[in-house]
Amino acid sequence: MREHAPSILVATLSAAFGVSLLQVTGALATMISSAPGMSESGMVAFMLSLVGGVFIVIAVYVGAIVTANTFATIIAGRTRTIALMRLIGATASSQRRAVAREGLLVGVAGSVLGFVVGTAVTFALISLAVATDFVPDLAYGYLPPVIALPLLAVVLTTWLASWIGSRRVLDVSPIQATGGAQEMRHEVVAGRRGRNATAITLIAIGLGLLALGIVAGFATPLGVLPGLVGGILSFSGLVLGAPFFLPPALRLVGKALGRGAASRLAAENAMRYPERSSRTMIGLVIGVTLVTTFAVAAGSYQEILTQARLAEPEVYAGTEQLVTVTVGVFSALLGFSALIAAVGMVNNLSLSVLQRTRELGLLRALGFTNSQLRVMVVAESAQLTVAAVLVGLALGTFYGWAGAQSLLGSMYGGPGLIVPVLPLWLIGTVVAAAALLTVAASITPTRRATRISPVVASAVD
Amino acid sequence: MEISPGDIGLVARVTQLTKSYGGGSTMVTALDDVSVGIRRGQFTAIMGPSGSGKSTLMHIMAGLDASTSGRVWIGDTEITSLGDTELTKLRRRRVGFVFQSFNLVPTLDVEGNILLPFELDGRVPTAEERVWIDHLIDTLGLRPRLRHRPHELSGGQQQRVAIVRALGSRPDLVFADEPTGNLDSRTGREVLTLLATAASAYGQSIAMVTHDPVAASFAERIVFLADGRIVEDRGRSTAAEISQFMLGMEGVL
Ligand SMILES: Nc1ncnc2c1ncn2[C@@H]1O[C@H](COP(=O)(O)OP(=O)(O)OP(=O)(O)O)[C@@H](O)[C@H]1O
Ligand SMILES: [Mg+2]
Repeated sequence: MREHAPSILVATLSAAFGVSLLQVTGALATMISSAPGMSESGMVAFMLSLVGGVFIVIAVYVGAIVTANTFATIIAGRTRTIALMRLIGATASSQRRAVAREGLLVGVAGSVLGFVVGTAVTFALISLAVATDFVPDLAYGYLPPVIALPLLAVVLTTWLASWIGSRRVLDVSPIQATGGAQEMRHEVVAGRRGRNATAITLIAIGLGLLALGIVAGFATPLGVLPGLVGGILSFSGLVLGAPFFLPPALRLVGKALGRGAASRLAAENAMRYPERSSRTMIGLVIGVTLVTTFAVAAGSYQEILTQARLAEPEVYAGTEQLVTVTVGVFSALLGFSALIAAVGMVNNLSLSVLQRTRELGLLRALGFTNSQLRVMVVAESAQLTVAAVLVGLALGTFYGWAGAQSLLGSMYGGPGLIVPVLPLWLIGTVVAAAALLTVAASITPTRRATRISPVVASAVD
Repeated sequence: MEISPGDIGLVARVTQLTKSYGGGSTMVTALDDVSVGIRRGQFTAIMGPSGSGKSTLMHIMAGLDASTSGRVWIGDTEITSLGDTELTKLRRRRVGFVFQSFNLVPTLDVEGNILLPFELDGRVPTAEERVWIDHLIDTLGLRPRLRHRPHELSGGQQQRVAIVRALGSRPDLVFADEPTGNLDSRTGREVLTLLATAASAYGQSIAMVTHDPVAASFAERIVFLADGRIVEDRGRSTAAEISQFMLGMEGVL
């Protein structure tokens, strides 16, 4: 189960995300319905639950994808063991079922832990807000029955994710137990074509729906619904086709890394298994895209509200505080998904270093100093992080704008085109977080890498 | 005054070398008070039964591993007290390696692997070195393979690439641990002939670990290890003589 600690953490974070989100949304609804003098409280509450619903779907989606990717990485790391089991007679399907069982266990464990953590976070947030007189002290319910949904969803998606991730078990041939040299070749050749076609179809349909949402958004906030579906579909397409879309970004960043044996090898390593690199990056891409999407949408929303307040102060009185609370809470909750992404990334990088012990030993024997090795690992994680952040920022700006346009295009002042607002704090935070993550994601792998004795290079195993 | 190993024609030397693993009741003494020197320009084979300490001796001589006690020199440099970075740099410049398998960096093509020692050292080969490397590449028939990655090569071709890399920077000493262990006998003979030629024609010092009498018969000198001690040190011998000796050794044990 130790190997699954990162997956349990991911499931825990996903479940906590969902639970906390529902509890907070519930609390906000309680607050709004009891707030005196809210002339349009019904409308605001409706908008809020609409936005809340959007976030729940996003939360479950992120959890599922990160979990699936974490599992795929774990399976990749087990290739040798699985091959050995196959060699001594285990069937591929029994091996796969075993993995799926682990997935179910991980899902249940994560769900239970996530419930506890999520409730604790909500409780802390609300208590803090009440204590600082930020929100009124009302009877907030912490256990709305609806929180069973994300918990169940986490169990099911983790289970499903482990099943999907374990598809690779079927590709492992017993021969792989004998040779150490070729790890994970099958990743490169695994049925690319159909997957890319599906990805492109999803993106096309998704973009179509997004366009529809944006157009409809000029008339009604309900434009956000087709927009949301379109966003999910097109983003799913991007995630599915990540091994196809991300490597070019990776290559570009790799070129900027500079020369020298360590940087060059790092760039080669990052490009070595496009699917694995994409898997390492995709969590972060999703995280940054989400945060950016939200920040851009929220920025646009605040912009509009500011204008509305200027024009009709009496109608929009009190909205400022509410919006600040909402943005704060949602930002914190989105921080969760960024954390999930970070866990996935650290985990993937550590694994990929761990699986290269022999190669690192060879480099040490041939004269790679420990500091060159460190440079290599940091450069590798920097390359992945920077590429993921850039892609995420670009995608997030687009999705954030599309979301704001479809939800708010019809708001105050009638049909209007919203200019995407990319807040400076966001760029600063993302860059700082990326730098921090690069370092964090390098700590374990460099420690492992520099502990490898050059002697392993000549091990026969 | 101490005699430096270089003065007496040695390219590497260990004195009173002991290496033990673990401690207490599970302690294994892999090398027990071994003193031996590798002569410059010679092809030396280190032989012995499995577990006799051949690989351990090679690792310590090449600065890949630390000894428990005793002193180790590469050329005139005593490496026993060197820090990791200095040791790594010394290894990079003065020692070449050929292992039994997994010799090449999978992400680099053949040429990248051959030039890796130079790249690690932050320099490009001099014109003279380039000529030498080109000569090696052509002699070993690797010219058409320069752009290939290791997984596209046969085991024998991979070993040849490793040999070009090991010889390319003209290191003081090339260590080879069972370089033919993964090869069929014909390819193995090719690789051995190559190593022998490098020593006889170009004066390259080579120390090869093997337990194969045929492989050892290519060497000019054979050092036998048993139970972590040197039990025999002889000149060129035929495979039959070597087998005979090893059988005798087993009889004694
Ligand atoms: N890391 C280690 N920990 C504990 N014991 C070790 C270790 N490495 C080697 N040994 C022991 O040291 C002894 C010598 O090992 P070594 O690998 O040098 O043998 P060898 O002569 O190369 O054998 P082979 O022909 O099988 O490769 C053996 O008894 C081995 O079990
Ligand atoms: Mg050995």
